[in-house]
Amino acid sequence: MAFLRQVSRALDDEHRTNLELLGRIEQAFARASQAGMATDPDLVRLAGSFSRQLEQDIGRHFDFEERELFPRMAEAGDGDMATLLGEEHDAIRELAAELLPLARAAAKGGLAIDGWDTFRRSSLEMVDRQVAHIQKETMALLPMLDDLLDEETDRNLAFAYVSD
Amino acid sequence: MKRHMHTFLSGAKSRLLPASVPFRFFGAACVYHVLAWVALFAGADQFPHFSGGLGWPLAALHLITLGVLTMTAMGASLQLLPVATRQPVFALRAPAVIWWIYTPGVAALALGMGTGQTLLLTGGATSVVAGLAVYGALLAHNLYGARGMPNVIAHGWVALASLAVLLVTALSLAYSYGGVPILTRPLALALHVPFAAYGFMGMLVLGFSCVLVPMFALSPAIDERSVLVSCIFAAIALLGVGVAAFGIAPARLRIAALVVGSVAVVVHLRLMRHALATGLRRSLGGSFMLVRIAWGLLVASLLAALGIVLELPMAGLPTLFGMLLVAGWLLTILVGLLQRILPFLASMHAIPGSRRPPTPSTLTAPRPLAIHFYCHLAALCCLAVATMTDSPNLTRTAAVTGLAGALAFAAFFALVLWRRRHPVAMTPVRTTSVA
Repeated sequence: MAFLRQVSRALDDEHRTNLELLGRIEQAFARASQAGMATDPDLVRLAGSFSRQLEQDIGRHFDFEERELFPRMAEAGDGDMATLLGEEHDAIRELAAELLPLARAAAKGGLAIDGWDTFRRSSLEMVDRQVAHIQKETMALLPMLDDLLDEETDRNLAFAYVSD
Repeated sequence: MKRHMHTFLSGAKSRLLPASVPFRFFGAACVYHVLAWVALFAGADQFPHFSGGLGWPLAALHLITLGVLTMTAMGASLQLLPVATRQPVFALRAPAVIWWIYTPGVAALALGMGTGQTLLLTGGATSVVAGLAVYGALLAHNLYGARGMPNVIAHGWVALASLAVLLVTALSLAYSYGGVPILTRPLALALHVPFAAYGFMGMLVLGFSCVLVPMFALSPAIDERSVLVSCIFAAIALLGVGVAAFGIAPARLRIAALVVGSVAVVVHLRLMRHALATGLRRSLGGSFMLVRIAWGLLVASLLAALGIVLELPMAGLPTLFGMLLVAGWLLTILVGLLQRILPFLASMHAIPGSRRPPTPSTLTAPRPLAIHFYCHLAALCCLAVATMTDSPNLTRTAAVTGLAGALAFAAFFALVLWRRRHPVAMTPVRTTSVA
């Protein structure tokens, strides 16, 4: 669907960038053998990008939605949807906290074989959670912003978000 | 717990229904799916040359159309429409009321058709029509205040208009067995089949596909203008078929309607192909394999319809047309999409208390779905050959194979519900892969 608001478009763009990275990670794990993961240059490079995403992007994106958008959804009577999305944020944050040290270690080449196995399993869980979460936001949150934000608020929020 | 309390507090303005509402429709659809194949087995001797009239083939047909297709469409649309049209659920109790009126009505209607008991048939039909009328009122209310997603809304209005034709003709056909028809039987039949299958169910399927296919494929927004073009062409085709039913240039109008309808289908399929080609999620597993096969069978149903209009000398063509349309296109695409929708919806209604809520892929059950996939396709192939060779034995084979598939699908549904309550450890299924 085409989004009218700048905030919706900005969030949608981030979702797609995020999904592309997750897709590359998933494919790299699918290609690499159990023993060869630690020495796979593609995986090591992706682990660096992944750790940056886990460290910076997830928190910034989620904080913005929880601070600026979910309260507006709740005020408009859509609190159950906001709560559902918030619960998914909590689960993704928790998983990100587990994954971050593994991703950092993998990027520096300091992850043991069994660590790679945990990293692989948790990464695939992250893919799964993010895909389902983004599908819900694309369906239920982003189109809703056409109603929740007037043009001026949209402009201000979009500016604040990209400047953050 | 937080969410459930909030759902309660937010009351009538919520866009999320309690899990029990859509899932009771899906559960009933699974049961009727099984019963449909049983009814087909019972009517295997008549099926290959079936061209209407009471008996188990008619019961099997309606167990699929009303018991599976309409039941699923109601369950899915009652939850999806408020989200897609940015409308709160209008009447929280109405969906449950619909289910209680409609579900036993389908059973009575099918039993009446199968056994030839007209009282049971007319009673069941009245109950089914009443349930669908309430559903139509909910649909109309939702569409009237809808915002956003004009493609779904446009398809919804055409489906609603078709539902009105469907209800009048259904009542007429049912009451004709009781000796009080509203319309002549040929007129009622000529309206009932296209408006029920292509009109009501078809337009709902086409409209929701424009939302669900891009959502599951993670593709960019699809061109809304093309969706509207497809919808307008489909509506014109239905209008043409409707006028032709009254005996006005019937052959020419039906051919014209098929041409216009084919344009609608081509535009729709091009949009769907583009969505799948540009989506970040390329490997969509067996569910979307079924969806793609269903699209092929939609085209095949239009070719069979053309063969009927042109009066091609081919044995069993009307039965083959019905099979391609109902079991081929509509049933196949619904079970395909339902394989994605059920775990997705179940994950939105996770039982509180789990450390992290389950994801859709941990709720799904690949093995029963694989069994269903092969059994469903094998049953369709057997049915197609059975109609062309007038073979009751092959029909029985199809019924047994289809029954095995339906039981596997019911097992999948049961496992989704079980895993929702008893989450398994995270081992994401590979079919969720992106890019």
